[in-house]
Amino acid sequence: MAMFSLLMQHVAQSGSDVAAAAAADAGSSPIFWFIVLGYFAVVLGFGSYFARFNKSTSDFFFGGRRFSWWLITMSIVATGVGSHSFLKYSGKSFEHGFSGSMAYMNDWFFMPLFIFGWLPIIYYMKVRSIPEYFERRFNAKVRALATGVLLMYMLGYVGIGLLTMAKTLGPILGDSWSLMEIIWVVAVVAGVYITFGGQTAVIFTDLLQGFILLFAGIILFVLGLNWFGGFDAFWNTLPAEFKLPLSNFNDDPGFNFVGIFWQDAVAGSIGFLFMNQGLVMRFLACRSVDHGRKAAAFNILFALPVSAIAVSCAGWIGYGMMTQDPTLVSPDTDPDTVFVIVTRILTTKAGFGFFVAAVTAALMSTVDTLINAISAVFVNDVYGPISKLRGIQHDDKHHLKVAMVASAGATVIGVGAAWSFSLFDNLYEAHGFFHSTFTPPLVACIFMGIFWRRFNTTGAMATFLAGTVMIILGRFLPHELIEPIAHGVPSIDPETGEALSAPFKYIGALYNLMACFGSGIVVTLLTNKENKDLEGLTMFSLTAARRMFKGSEPNDRVGFPQTVTYELDTSLPLGAVRMDREAMNHLAAEQGDLAYICDKRKWLGGLRSAHAYFDGVHNSGETVLLAQDVYDNGHFLPGKLLVVEKEF
Amino acid sequence: MDEYPDFDRSWLPYIYLYGVGGIFFLGGMLLVFKSKACDWTRASHRRWAKVLIFGYFWYAAIHGALIYSALNV
Repeated sequence: MAMFSLLMQHVAQSGSDVAAAAAADAGSSPIFWFIVLGYFAVVLGFGSYFARFNKSTSDFFFGGRRFSWWLITMSIVATGVGSHSFLKYSGKSFEHGFSGSMAYMNDWFFMPLFIFGWLPIIYYMKVRSIPEYFERRFNAKVRALATGVLLMYMLGYVGIGLLTMAKTLGPILGDSWSLMEIIWVVAVVAGVYITFGGQTAVIFTDLLQGFILLFAGIILFVLGLNWFGGFDAFWNTLPAEFKLPLSNFNDDPGFNFVGIFWQDAVAGSIGFLFMNQGLVMRFLACRSVDHGRKAAAFNILFALPVSAIAVSCAGWIGYGMMTQDPTLVSPDTDPDTVFVIVTRILTTKAGFGFFVAAVTAALMSTVDTLINAISAVFVNDVYGPISKLRGIQHDDKHHLKVAMVASAGATVIGVGAAWSFSLFDNLYEAHGFFHSTFTPPLVACIFMGIFWRRFNTTGAMATFLAGTVMIILGRFLPHELIEPIAHGVPSIDPETGEALSAPFKYIGALYNLMACFGSGIVVTLLTNKENKDLEGLTMFSLTAARRMFKGSEPNDRVGFPQTVTYELDTSLPLGAVRMDREAMNHLAAEQGDLAYICDKRKWLGGLRSAHAYFDGVHNSGETVLLAQDVYDNGHFLPGKLLVVEKEF
Repeated sequence: MDEYPDFDRSWLPYIYLYGVGGIFFLGGMLLVFKSKACDWTRASHRRWAKVLIFGYFWYAAIHGALIYSALNV
């Protein structure tokens, strides 16, 4: 998103007439604004439409745990691509070649632990937020610590997102709008539909946005190849080093493979899969653990490589253009402007408007996912525990209202954070420091909590407190603490020979991880074992987690889904469904087993579906009898066939 | 960027990525088997274990093919 602001800010220095023309044209073209504003109207329409599917906090935060994997995958694409990906990765790719996008292609190493560890734990234990896991695994103090860190981290991120978007739109809107006015408008647009739409709205708007982002990126790549006269011509234009998918091992302190491996493939991947509350909520919105696994696997195996092309191709195309016609794309081009320069060269005004809408979509996805996640953490980890301490019990409707107020509040605080970030000269370095200081303790604590039964509460506290202190020390003493493990990454600028003011900015992640993991391990080993019931909370007790989720022994006999009509039976107990004996046999289901009932139309992705349990049999033929709440939660339409499946 | 890439620039990062990354991956696989989080008696778990192994080699093949293409095609 920041690409447009940076384009406008740096266009004079970049020396590109094309980019200057793009900047001047954009704000004055009716078709440009028609497309951009049309996009916002569609987003708001989506939010309003899907808001009616929220009947409880479970719907608001987790979309009722009902969605199919493909819908969640596309939603994750929109969130994962993020707000500044097009700018950042196009710029990096323009400077460093195909290796500029290597961060998109190194997320598989921790998948075994996610697929068989963290995902089933959070799903079966119904962990609604990451801090809640900390209380169950350790105690309320660790939960409070985690809540504070997580909220600060996410609110800061919302602020960054709003500020980036406002800076983007500022030059297009002209001098009549101040930065804060734009921030408020952007915040209201983002806040309105998340406040009233909740997670269901986010998932469906992100589905749309995910398609738009990938489509936009791939179209740009195709247009670029066409400009060169085909793939072979494009490929042969590029030097061998540019085409390498991994960067130099350790030569360049500003962009080296080994640093990015530890910063992104290790810390980033664990953070993304295990600590990202917004992503956790996406997986909890899946209809089952298996669908969560499919969403994660498909996303990393196929969607991320395509996303890498989508967000980076402008840099590759721009570099190729530069080698062929330096007057079109200057060698002095600011890398941050290359996406817009290339987009403007390859598209019309209307097409340019479409690309502005696409990257706006990326930012909206990031911001509304975060706002919804903050709201979830506030309700579960701040409001809930405080109410409990005061001895007050609230019903779900009350919590739903609190969630909406929290979403609105998060948006307002995000505006405040955006204002404070606007005071910094260098936004990204300020945020980078913030990000790398707060993330490693949470990551280390979650990781050891899940996979190491011996890890105790004192160790968790040490991971947070001592880990953070050591990270800050590393900032002040980089040569003493980080250099010995820096894999030979230099701390001086190779061109000028001068010492860097902030050395080891990537490989520093290895030190940060060692500091946090080390603190937790040492303190745990030096303190007593805890006699705490960890059933379902570590990956060593997942059978217990499934049993606790169901309330009885799981039934893993293989059955076949049944397509049936339905009837409402108000005499059934809450959450119950009944089928005839023959259907139960085909399903391999028994009384008490968990059921998933879904509209037969698969393209709905589970929007009209509900979870229930089998409560005996009936003699009414090929129909399923639904309890009132199952009927209500499923949003089933009259006359439509349903598919009933046994879960376990 | 005109020089032909040497080993440090081409295959060393690849070996490090799938060597050190492979240690994390293999450690994770061993842990999920040891903890019985992956239950080999269940068909769906066997399928997922195969998908995980496929994913490791899928990415290793993509990166390997890209490096080979960059150097030779």
